[in-house]
Amino acid sequence: MKKQSLFARDSIYMLIAAIVIFSLRWTLPLLGGYSELATRMLIFSILVLGFDILVGLTGYLSFGHAAFWGIGAYICGYILLHFTQNILVAMILGVLIVSIIAFLLGIITLRRHGIYFAILTLAFAEMFYYLALAPLQKWTGGDNGLTGIKTPQLFGLELSGLAMYIFVGIWTLIALYTARRIKNSPYGLMLRAIKSNEERLTFTGINVFRYKVMAFLISGIFAGLAGTLFAAYETYVPTESLHWTLSGEIVIMSVIGGFGTLIGPMMGAAIVLYLENVLSAITDQWNLILGVIFMSFVIFLPGGVMSLSKQLRRLFSRDQVPANRTESQGGD
Amino acid sequence: MSFSQFALQLLTGLQIGAIYVLVALGLTLIFGTLGVANFAHGALYMIGAYFGLVVSSQLGWGWAALLVPLGLFGVGILFDRGLLQFFYKRPVTDQILVTFGLAIIIQELARTIFGGTTKPFPAPQWARIPVDIGFGYYPPWRLVIIAVTIIVVILLFILLRYTKFGLMVRAGMRDPEMVRYLGIDATRLFTIVVGLGAMFAGVAGIMGGPAYSIEPGSGMAMLVPSFLVVVIGGMGSLVGAVIAGLLMGLAVSFSVIFVPAVSQVIIYLVAVIVLIVRPRGLFGVEGIG
Repeated sequence: MKKQSLFARDSIYMLIAAIVIFSLRWTLPLLGGYSELATRMLIFSILVLGFDILVGLTGYLSFGHAAFWGIGAYICGYILLHFTQNILVAMILGVLIVSIIAFLLGIITLRRHGIYFAILTLAFAEMFYYLALAPLQKWTGGDNGLTGIKTPQLFGLELSGLAMYIFVGIWTLIALYTARRIKNSPYGLMLRAIKSNEERLTFTGINVFRYKVMAFLISGIFAGLAGTLFAAYETYVPTESLHWTLSGEIVIMSVIGGFGTLIGPMMGAAIVLYLENVLSAITDQWNLILGVIFMSFVIFLPGGVMSLSKQLRRLFSRDQVPANRTESQGGD
Repeated sequence: MSFSQFALQLLTGLQIGAIYVLVALGLTLIFGTLGVANFAHGALYMIGAYFGLVVSSQLGWGWAALLVPLGLFGVGILFDRGLLQFFYKRPVTDQILVTFGLAIIIQELARTIFGGTTKPFPAPQWARIPVDIGFGYYPPWRLVIIAVTIIVVILLFILLRYTKFGLMVRAGMRDPEMVRYLGIDATRLFTIVVGLGAMFAGVAGIMGGPAYSIEPGSGMAMLVPSFLVVVIGGMGSLVGAVIAGLLMGLAVSFSVIFVPAVSQVIIYLVAVIVLIVRPRGLFGVEGIG
């Protein structure tokens, strides 16, 4: 009985998600966005979903996820540009290479935590950025990025506009379903145990390192997948794909949405991209505004948008529930 | 490679390293005493550079040399009282996030005020034309950077080694909890440490500005290698920061000659190798981080 109700809850959850995901293209213009922005939002939401599996569950704050996104984008773009227009081939190869790199980086960086981990991931991402800029210029196009990518195809169907949107939407649903399954599984519980007390988990005889590397790898795969979609959607790979500002943006999106909630970071991605779109039309200083919003969240609402209802309930209810900050706390 | 070529490259390496050392010293001081990972340290460097540019063009270099360190000391105090103090006890992740947020805000403010383009920041007249130093011609400004850094490091060493204040800071780096129990005003101590850290970053900024150039992204561009220097030296180790900083500077300067292809990524390569071989850093203490 219990299993069935769980299944029913899962179905409703995914159904609502599907409705939101596939209606975004038409609801967004009503809010002052443009329809193509919806595709962008979905791509970024895949990226932050993966990020949330690592940071939200295990508490390891990575500042280098631009590397996975960027490498995925470059490889997908390169294949589309030179070899085939078949998007699946480009995506599979891109994700494959990203997962190899994520695995190796995970093994190196996860030996440290806290600040060390943040700096190490940042350093690796910067390394890839500078590699793409000069030494690998011949393949990456250096400063100009990869330009002139042809419209990708799926079994002969040109993927652009609405077709691309639906393609990305399907991937977003798959990503959300996968992430949710991971989070709610015993495996996800293990990852959350790393966040709450890694040492204790080690003492119970569990190979914590293996779990951490897996979480890192999974989040890298999500980021790589999003990166390949980005290259295919934009038909252009800017150098900024590997820059630390992108890693920072991922962090900002996740904080605004609320770490560890999956839906939160997705909303965060949508909010940030929406603000970017709306504010940049009004003012040049939208980055400044975004920075202020981000900092206010860190200071006053560490649980992000997702904790808003909880906070409000606490504000209006008589009984004083102690502030629950665990959502924002991390590996130190 | 001739001797003079080698010597000039060595000097350049020391100069690049000197800037890293100054920024890294502040970072490691703040981390060692307060346990705070300050992602806004690059922004302090950038404030120093822009502040130096404004003062030196308006009032001259004498005033700039005086006002920038003092001003940045003040900025550091404000930074600690206004923001950092609320994050001493918060998880490292929160500290990283909040200082990262501040860094973005400062960077964007700089972009608003000074524009997004690279600003030329001329060194003083006398320090611009390369002079003969025995084995070749070398820009005096770079020598100034090395000299000032040596002086700052020596002064810091004296301050920490031979004064009561230094004793308290060193005690704070070893066991901040105990310092409080001993009845020392740890709050004031910590605030001054942040002020000092900001001051070093400011000195680095006013010297690094003319040597490189400044734009709103300069702060973050300086933060990453400096943090790597701290990590390589060992978080919280002052000696480590100095040695790792010079090592990085030399690695950058010599890689330009020998393996130009990797000169942009050499610091990351060095960092990766050091941390794989010795995860706690060269002079790091086991168990931190």
